[in-house]
Amino acid sequence: MFLLFLENFSISLSAVFANKTRSILTALGIIIGVLSVTMMGTLISGLDRTFESSMSWLGKDILYISRWEWFSDMEWWEVRNRPKIHPDYVDKIRERSKYALAVAPVMQRGASLSFKDKETRIQIFGTNEDYMETISTDIIQGRFFSKNEDRSGSRVTVIGDGIKEAFFGDQDPIGQYIKIDKMKFKVIGVLEKQGKFLGLMSVDKQAILPLGAYNRIFSKRGFMRLSVKVPEDKIDEGLDEISFVMRHIRGLRPNQENDFAINQTKAFEKQYNTLKLAIGGTGTFITLLSLIVGGIGVMNIMFVSVKERTREIGVRKAIGATKGMIMGQFLIEAVTICLLAGLMGLLFSYVCSTLLNKIFPSTLDFGLAIFAILMSVVVGVLSGFIPSYRAANLDPIDSLRYE
Amino acid sequence: MVLISLNNIYKIYNVGGEEVRALDGIDLEINENEYLAIMGPSGSGKSTLMNMIGCLDTPSSGIYQFEGEMVQEMDDNQLASIRNRKIGFVFQTFNLLPKATAQHNVEIPLIYGNIRKNERIKLASDALKSVGLSDRMHHKPNELSGGQRQRVAIARALVNSPSIILADEPTGNLDSKSGHEIMGILNKLYQDGNTIILVTHEDDIARHAHRIIRLFDGKITEDSKTKS
Repeated sequence: MFLLFLENFSISLSAVFANKTRSILTALGIIIGVLSVTMMGTLISGLDRTFESSMSWLGKDILYISRWEWFSDMEWWEVRNRPKIHPDYVDKIRERSKYALAVAPVMQRGASLSFKDKETRIQIFGTNEDYMETISTDIIQGRFFSKNEDRSGSRVTVIGDGIKEAFFGDQDPIGQYIKIDKMKFKVIGVLEKQGKFLGLMSVDKQAILPLGAYNRIFSKRGFMRLSVKVPEDKIDEGLDEISFVMRHIRGLRPNQENDFAINQTKAFEKQYNTLKLAIGGTGTFITLLSLIVGGIGVMNIMFVSVKERTREIGVRKAIGATKGMIMGQFLIEAVTICLLAGLMGLLFSYVCSTLLNKIFPSTLDFGLAIFAILMSVVVGVLSGFIPSYRAANLDPIDSLRYE
Repeated sequence: MVLISLNNIYKIYNVGGEEVRALDGIDLEINENEYLAIMGPSGSGKSTLMNMIGCLDTPSSGIYQFEGEMVQEMDDNQLASIRNRKIGFVFQTFNLLPKATAQHNVEIPLIYGNIRKNERIKLASDALKSVGLSDRMHHKPNELSGGQRQRVAIARALVNSPSIILADEPTGNLDSKSGHEIMGILNKLYQDGNTIILVTHEDDIARHAHRIIRLFDGKITEDSKTKS
């Protein structure tokens, strides 16, 4: 049986290569199908990885309280009319909530940073001593500021890895003075490298200041949000409780709606899943469509091939080929066309993902490649079946007479 | 020893509601190492008879025994197997695979017979040698003359050491010199102990055979031994 398989495989290879143009045109649909399914998979797994790492940075067990609801369709003026988040809330939440493990107010703005003759634009954050609890990043050098330093408005700062690299290189930045918007700050710590959030914006070019100093130097205008850490296994209870505490702080009556928002990474996840579904759906649709078109093309070419070789089929039958052997020969031919097309699609896909990898994390997954190859084989079997069946059931006498 | 025995064989076609008796009660016995010619005008049923003997076709009624096996009861796979092992076909138009070398063409029956590669190569080159083509083994059909192509076809028919060689107008597409060569090869195969059945309408060709059967309207009208 194996002998016959090899024989059929070499017959079909020579048949495919004898009609190169025809074979390539036929296989185009399959090539596109394999390309789209592998690129879709590559894209989704790349997104997954980016998303995972970004989400771990945000933290599942952190509630973000602000005026603005993530991914909501609220009008901007409605958001603007909501009362601001006040720094006093930090202590009030600490007092009244039993789930809140850490509460950090966060103010954020752009600023210019300079050291000696170098200058750059960075993001600065004003917050309190709890901040480190609400992010997943660690201090790799020096220390974070204390409660006292925050209260007293000390001009100290913790800088991101990006700033350390750009300004200090191999030098020790601890104890050095940098200027943020012309004000001198003493560097007391460096954050570990974080990479890019959602693969887009770098979060390593940042400096963290005590809120006291931040408020003194920059105006108190601007938006504050609160990051509240709750126990990992009590996120839902925490959310309910914090929501209740916030309503209490705001003095809302039971019939009034919340005038604040408590955001979670879940919101990102929901949004992300919708995006993934859209990519997956579109990809699947394109894949199916091109596989159907490709499959029909292969079927058509197999009918032509059977017709062209009617006499050959007659001869083969006369010298002892059974129906099964003839069927096998043409099925293997169809599968060979699809397999070669699949490999070509894979090659294109490999090239594309390698190029894409320069701007976005994408590598062709081995399992996915195997799946794509199997998929082309299945298309080959399905589209080769009817032509092969017809070839197998040709009458040997009629086929020998066929001109 | 009786190789082939046809007993009251009928082959009836229905053409446009009309019954056509391609074979109309054929009784025929062929012994081992016979050289037989089947003759008759076109439409006499000689092709049908040849297809019947070659197990490409089964009778509408009657009993066909090939080396004692009941052919009329066989299914498609059994027929294919008997064609593969016991019958060698030589066609008027050679019917070689155009893209395969002479060697490969001769190997095909062995592939269907599931013979291992080393043995296959040896058997095929022996068969080509026996028809005088050992120097043309790796040529494709379009690089060979008509006579050479027919010799490849004979080698293909021979390679499985079949019980009978069925040659359907083997010289029909050849010039007289090549035709003569082919008949020479068939004569030699006969002398080596093979059973040969020749289908032809040319008396010159039929003269090589030792027994001539004439068909007319699906019936045997003459069965004569010309040589002993």
